[in-house]
Amino acid sequence: MPHDPQPARFWKRNQMKIAPYAFLAPGAVMFLIYVLIPIVQSIWISFQDWDGLGPKTWVGLANYVELMDDDTFYVALKNNLLWLGLYLLAIPMGLAAALFLNQNVWGIRLYKSLFFFPFVISQVVVGLMFTWFYAPDFGLFSQLIKWLTGSEVAILADERYVTYGIIAAGLWPQTAYCMILYLTGLNNLNFEQIEAARMDNARGWRLLRHVILPQLAPATFIAMVVTVIGALRSFDLVSIMTAGGPYGSSQVLSYFMYEQALSEYGYRMGYGAAIAVVLFLIMMVFITLFIMRMIAQERNR
Amino acid sequence: MAEVSLSNVKKDFGAISIIKGIDLEIKDGEFCVFVGPSGCGKSTLLRMIAGLEDISQGALRIGGRDMTRVGPSDRGVAMVFQSYALYPHMTVGENIGFGLRMTGHDKAEIAKRTAAAAKMLQLEPLLARKPGQLSGGQRQRVAIGRAIVRNPEVFLFDEPLSNLDASLRVQMRGEISRLHQDLGATMIYVTHDQVEAMTMADKIVVLSAGRIEQVGSPLELYHRPKNLFVAGFIGSPKMNFIAVDARPHDGGIEVTLPGGAVLQLAGSLAAAAKMTLGLRPEHASATGAGDAVLPAKVHLAEHLGSETLFFVGLADGTEIAVKADGLAPERPGDSMQIGFPARACHLFNADGQAVLNGDLTR
Repeated sequence: MPHDPQPARFWKRNQMKIAPYAFLAPGAVMFLIYVLIPIVQSIWISFQDWDGLGPKTWVGLANYVELMDDDTFYVALKNNLLWLGLYLLAIPMGLAAALFLNQNVWGIRLYKSLFFFPFVISQVVVGLMFTWFYAPDFGLFSQLIKWLTGSEVAILADERYVTYGIIAAGLWPQTAYCMILYLTGLNNLNFEQIEAARMDNARGWRLLRHVILPQLAPATFIAMVVTVIGALRSFDLVSIMTAGGPYGSSQVLSYFMYEQALSEYGYRMGYGAAIAVVLFLIMMVFITLFIMRMIAQERNR
Repeated sequence: MAEVSLSNVKKDFGAISIIKGIDLEIKDGEFCVFVGPSGCGKSTLLRMIAGLEDISQGALRIGGRDMTRVGPSDRGVAMVFQSYALYPHMTVGENIGFGLRMTGHDKAEIAKRTAAAAKMLQLEPLLARKPGQLSGGQRQRVAIGRAIVRNPEVFLFDEPLSNLDASLRVQMRGEISRLHQDLGATMIYVTHDQVEAMTMADKIVVLSAGRIEQVGSPLELYHRPKNLFVAGFIGSPKMNFIAVDARPHDGGIEVTLPGGAVLQLAGSLAAAAKMTLGLRPEHASATGAGDAVLPAKVHLAEHLGSETLFFVGLADGTEIAVKADGLAPERPGDSMQIGFPARACHLFNADGQAVLNGDLTR
């Protein structure tokens, strides 16, 4: 069979143009199958009434209308905002821990590992530890409160405190994560700039604010991204510690979605998908902000 | 305005001694240059004057006040760093004004003094830019502006020109010298480039391994180096060193050069000894004029236009450099007669100390 030189020549001529797309293709295909298509499917399902097995019925916006009247939805939304606000405390706390640990004393590597430890262990374990920590009768925290005030408080059984209790548990590993981000940033500080600042009479807090923090801006940005996303998708601690209780007072959107769509409370796939879409839209606000900032930085470079 | 005085200043890092006892007086308004090979401690010494490094032992006085234990911002000194160390997130104006802001000056005062410093350094059109948008020379000027604006009594420069290309370096060298004349402040300048030292300094301090080898004016060091180290460090191309036999003779010194030629030098010597004779390339004569003439073979000729630099081999194989006329015709392999004028010959004993300086006066 005579060899046709045409395809070979086409490849040679366009190799440089095709190669980037060829390398991009596997990731793009995965992203399409596991991220983009499910998003579209979720939006589609949110317009249906479906138990997950039987036939789907088109109900239009009925799921969303019901959601707008659902008290649990507002509790979950309020709790998510609380998570968002308080979870951000992990950033200054992580920075403080990093500044504290960024010194040369004997055994500092061990202390750093110990501080980082909560991030390594599973969220389930963190949840269990804090559940025991708060437990009435034998929990350390309860004992402390009892010793201080004389009366016991069951944090996880009290709707006034329960969400704060879970967020406190979440802050522990998240602070460790932010600390690691900042420790890496502190390793790459420009020391001549700090010395110049010392000559310029900048000390302590002013040195931190005017010279060190600006140099840590990339770490702060990443810490911000992972903390905001982490707060919005908080699920595991709620699931382990309270399952949304008492009386749904510690609900968050992702757990509410799971409860409606997949748990014993009923298999309302359409309603769950509607919750998922709302959560997705909230996240998109932040993701868009982050991406806009990243693009702006790329341009500045 | 202030003089800087160091007495027996030492610096140790653990068991390692970096600065081994420095005594130095720098007069008010003087331009003093620290030179030395890398690792000699010149930057450490500057940083000790700045207050960025602790002084392990000894005392530092600036303007008559003891500054040994005073913080860097309270010494009345300003420093220009090798990498400029500008704050990348601040504009040029903010960079220059930062020190004043940190010392609590009001906004109007900061703006006025920033504008004055910018005018002096021709930075006015750049005040709103960030350091990332500036060229190397402009960044250097901003770094100097940041020092000027604080009205320091002493300016410290840590190899400020080493990140610039050759032509810019010559230009900035001139600008710093002009600045010194305009401000009249005391300046201490660290460099490993002896051309910078020779062209800018009122006083050069040659350092080696944490000790002062010699202090003096550029010409003093050029003509009367105290030892082999200074003789070899100051001057470019560097001084030729030739092993010779020296002995007392007729109220002077007689040395035998490679190949047997004999040269009569001034000075006195107790006993015959092996010594090192030093002669700068610009004082050796390629045309054979001198008090002793040595035959030599050309190894290499560098034609620089204004002059020709010959590297020639003497009878015992020693290679020396000789500066000659730009139109000198000799080529590698040719023979030459090298003249040694006695008045330009330095003589160093076995310890490397100068016995005789060929300062061209005799």
